[in-house]
Amino acid sequence: MDLTRRGGVEADDFALMEQVQGGSPGAFETLVERYQRRLYRLACGYLHNHEDALDAVQETLVKIYLARQRYRPSAHPFTWASRILANQCIDQIRHRRVRPEQSLEETQEGRPGRGPLPLLSSEEAAQARQERRELGRMLQGAIDTLPPRQREIFMLRHFGEMRLEEIAAALGCALGTVKSSLHRAAAAIRDHLARTDPAFRAKEEEAL
Amino acid sequence: MSPRRPPRSCRAARDRMTLLYYGALAPADKAGLLRHVDSCRSCALEWDTIRRCLDAAAPETVFPREAEVDWREFTRVAVVRARAAEAAGPGTAPASGRGRLSLAWAAAFPVPARFAVLATAALVAALLWNAWLRPGGTRGGGPGSSDSGIGGQPLASLLESAHAMQDRLARRGAVRYLSDSRVLLVNLVGPAAPCRKASGQYDITLEKEKSRQLLRRKNLYEGGLGALQDQRLATLVRQLESVLMQVAVLDDCASARQIHDLREQIETRQILLRIDLVTREMKGRADVV
Repeated sequence: MDLTRRGGVEADDFALMEQVQGGSPGAFETLVERYQRRLYRLACGYLHNHEDALDAVQETLVKIYLARQRYRPSAHPFTWASRILANQCIDQIRHRRVRPEQSLEETQEGRPGRGPLPLLSSEEAAQARQERRELGRMLQGAIDTLPPRQREIFMLRHFGEMRLEEIAAALGCALGTVKSSLHRAAAAIRDHLARTDPAFRAKEEEAL
Repeated sequence: MSPRRPPRSCRAARDRMTLLYYGALAPADKAGLLRHVDSCRSCALEWDTIRRCLDAAAPETVFPREAEVDWREFTRVAVVRARAAEAAGPGTAPASGRGRLSLAWAAAFPVPARFAVLATAALVAALLWNAWLRPGGTRGGGPGSSDSGIGGQPLASLLESAHAMQDRLARRGAVRYLSDSRVLLVNLVGPAAPCRKASGQYDITLEKEKSRQLLRRKNLYEGGLGALQDQRLATLVRQLESVLMQVAVLDDCASARQIHDLREQIETRQILLRIDLVTREMKGRADVV
């Protein structure tokens, strides 16, 4: 059984991007479907706000389409897309178009008619949801405490599912820097969880 | 007393565990590390902890609101907006930083707006001339000279006035843009004219043309709105853009379904109501009317 997690970027992204450039029907839709969620997660990392992240991804996708002829296959298409997104997020922050920071787990509760209906109703399920929400909050806290470069590298790898070489190329740093930053980021998150999450700490002690 | 340091082989193994998790180790390294983990209890525990920790940081846990998004609809809107932006030409392309400056402004700005922009530029140039470049004037000199501007007014306050004027112009433009867009949206929400070319469809030629015109105008206000503190207005203008872009790329004869989707968006986002509220409030301000 393979216990490790492989890079999520697909090899045929290059071919897909070529089709987008060539104007093949449906190619851009496929690219959008493939990238939008990963871009959303990265945008959340920059903007800390659900709506702003969605706006940023929309703008980025439009920019990708408009600039598609300027793309050169020296970089992976997602690397290129992630740089456009980063610039878009910086632009939004600079122009104060961002809403105040909010917890990304803040749900639509309290807004009638919005959001999915809860599928679970038992007390246990509610408790499990609450625990997961709590864990999500702690993980966000852990990620937010990372130094900016470490956080960016972690976000690009963990949520953007980019390969380390691509991250190094995108950020203009050495592969070794990416590796060591990723290692430090994971260690910091683990330490943060061990300090703040009693369940995580209990499991760790149990293992010992 | 400090805890005992793990042996060097364990330290080397632990340093590579994150890379193992992300599948970034060469096959030989991976095999070596897994062999070590199998034979060392403390490293096995460490590997288990790292894995649990990184597994816990799953997107659905860290970004639970991702599940609320209708991604199919999101894709559809993104594709429509991208095509509309291209169809509408460079004037409507979302631009940032340097790109915004390189717009063909003469094509993008209506004539009255050009005068407003030129007037602002002239005022700023006059202020700079008086403050720094006027013959006999001093640059950053002693008291009374570094802060002096036109008529002895402090430079900072003159620049502030210039910013305020720019802000007023942008806001005024945005209010006009919203009012014109409102007329268009009311037409879309109201009874549609049947299309002569295809039965069962509706003629939206005029709305489509109007949308394109409005999109071309929007760039003027967008740049200014970025500088505005008025986030509500800026947000409304941006959301409106999405609807206008969808109208701009429709065929002259739209299907009932397409019209229905547009109406639903206008109603769900309460765009008409929000335009009314914002424009009424803005017009109530002395500096807008």
